[in-house]
Amino acid sequence: MTEPIPKPKSRVAHRSIGGRLFDVFSGFGLATILLLLMGLLTWFATLEQIDNGLYATLNKYFHWKSLFLVPEIKGKMVPILLPGGYWVGAVLLVNLILGGVIRARKGWKHIGNLIAHSGIIFMLIAAGVAHHFSERGNMAVWEGEFSNVAEDYHEYVVEVVKVEDGKPASVRVIRGEHIKDLTDGDSRVFRLPDIPFDLELAGYAINALPVNITERAPTRSELQVDGYYLWEKDGEVQAERNLAGCYGRVINQEGVKQAPFILSGNAYYPYTVETGGDVYFIHMRKRLWTMPFTLNLDKFTADFHPGTMRPEKFVSEVTRIENGSEAQVTIQMNEPMRYEGLTFFQASYGPSDARPGDEMYSVFEVVKNPADKWPEYSLYIVTFGLFIAFVMKLILFIMGQARKSS
Amino acid sequence: MKIHAILLPLILVICTSCEDRDELVVTETREITTKDIPTKLNASSDERFRDVKPSPVQGTPPENWLKQPSTQFRLLNYRFGESGLGEVWVSLSSGGVLENANRWLKQFQQEAITADELAAIEIVQTAGSEGRLIQAEGSYAGMGAEPRDDFALAGVIAPIDGRILTVKMIGPKAEVAAAEEDLKRFSESLVLKDQF
Repeated sequence: MTEPIPKPKSRVAHRSIGGRLFDVFSGFGLATILLLLMGLLTWFATLEQIDNGLYATLNKYFHWKSLFLVPEIKGKMVPILLPGGYWVGAVLLVNLILGGVIRARKGWKHIGNLIAHSGIIFMLIAAGVAHHFSERGNMAVWEGEFSNVAEDYHEYVVEVVKVEDGKPASVRVIRGEHIKDLTDGDSRVFRLPDIPFDLELAGYAINALPVNITERAPTRSELQVDGYYLWEKDGEVQAERNLAGCYGRVINQEGVKQAPFILSGNAYYPYTVETGGDVYFIHMRKRLWTMPFTLNLDKFTADFHPGTMRPEKFVSEVTRIENGSEAQVTIQMNEPMRYEGLTFFQASYGPSDARPGDEMYSVFEVVKNPADKWPEYSLYIVTFGLFIAFVMKLILFIMGQARKSS
Repeated sequence: MKIHAILLPLILVICTSCEDRDELVVTETREITTKDIPTKLNASSDERFRDVKPSPVQGTPPENWLKQPSTQFRLLNYRFGESGLGEVWVSLSSGGVLENANRWLKQFQQEAITADELAAIEIVQTAGSEGRLIQAEGSYAGMGAEPRDDFALAGVIAPIDGRILTVKMIGPKAEVAAAEEDLKRFSESLVLKDQF
């Protein structure tokens, strides 16, 4: 009697769980799904930002905190659950490293593919670095004036400013992340070391106007302070136009809470606190971001297409002043100034109703992105890799033809 | 024993990393910048929250109109009528007379008018320019507020030097009808700052 010949076990059956996971995460199938998802996310986000604004949509689709999302087009929910774009990109990065580099065939014939995959990996890393480490703001400078500060587009902070000789002397900053959760009756006490009082903040609203009760009666039992209350409004589609507000209360050194006051991003003047001969003011404003140099706007020129307000060309001639040395720089559309890790783009100008001969100001978008040029470099790498891959294919083809004919 | 040895430090680490969110110590500072200029101290709430710059428009309102604080978009602002719901305000804005007229009419769910129809509407002189008297009645739904029935509009829109001067009266139908002549006289009294 002969022993039955055992059937050869399939390759898959021998694979460990780790091996199977490696197969899935390095697979071409997963890469295809991820790229399709990325395309879908981009398409839905492009449609959704028309109604919900760019900032809110980018956060919804591509912020790392967004694990899953449901698209909403023209106010109607699209019944598809999609993974967040950040995580699709992260898995794609893993997939490319495992499949495009580790698992990929090696050797000089495949060097082009490896270079091209490395370029895409570099691009995905650049996106991650920009997401986590970049900062954006804007700087508005009038012709003939100086500025050494940019303003964040979205983050409202509360500042406690000590006044000496009538001028601001030192500034304590309460960041937006510590204020924006103070909604629905929540409050928080902010201890201010070296300042003779503490501050309690509450009732934060992302978009609100201080309104006099004689102009518009409160409808939701809002706290009224000196005849005013914060009229909470829906967020603006262009999120940078939101005017945040909250209520504040000074707590003196004895721990006694003083009368409440309103802080608003729409206030013309700050709230003043005088204590023990010292003068402070408290205000809410968009976070200021100090530059390592000063810009002087020497001249601003705006050209428009004839008969329209469509910009043809904005040119800002500036002097960059740093440690006593000066440099003349021209910043214009598509020709930013890059210096010390900061990029100044020509963004807009004002006043919007300025007429020929009026004084104008120029607005620069200021970006600090450690990965600023990485996407450009990654494209060079991918192009080089594909070029090598095609050349290798051509050489192999020619060699093959030569072999056949011989 | 081993589990305890792992869990205890873990619990300690978790507990010590728990922040008392009701209270925070703030140490962050920033440098003084070109934006840190001397400001008005001890400003009142009115000064803090209202643009108290002199209005670029001035006029003589009827005695029975109650002056209200001006706002960013209401250079002159009044209330009138017994109900307390009547409002008149003066604004300077951009755009054309026709498009502003049609925007007002839309707030009363009325059909848009054409340039020819606008040209046939009554003229009211204001701030040295010829304004058109726009009128509408019905349910008023403006500025995101709840619609209000039996309301009326009477307003003057005039082109002034590339901009639009508007005098808008909104209120209960009967009160607007009674105040229409006041509105015309008030519009005729308006002068721009440049014309002082």
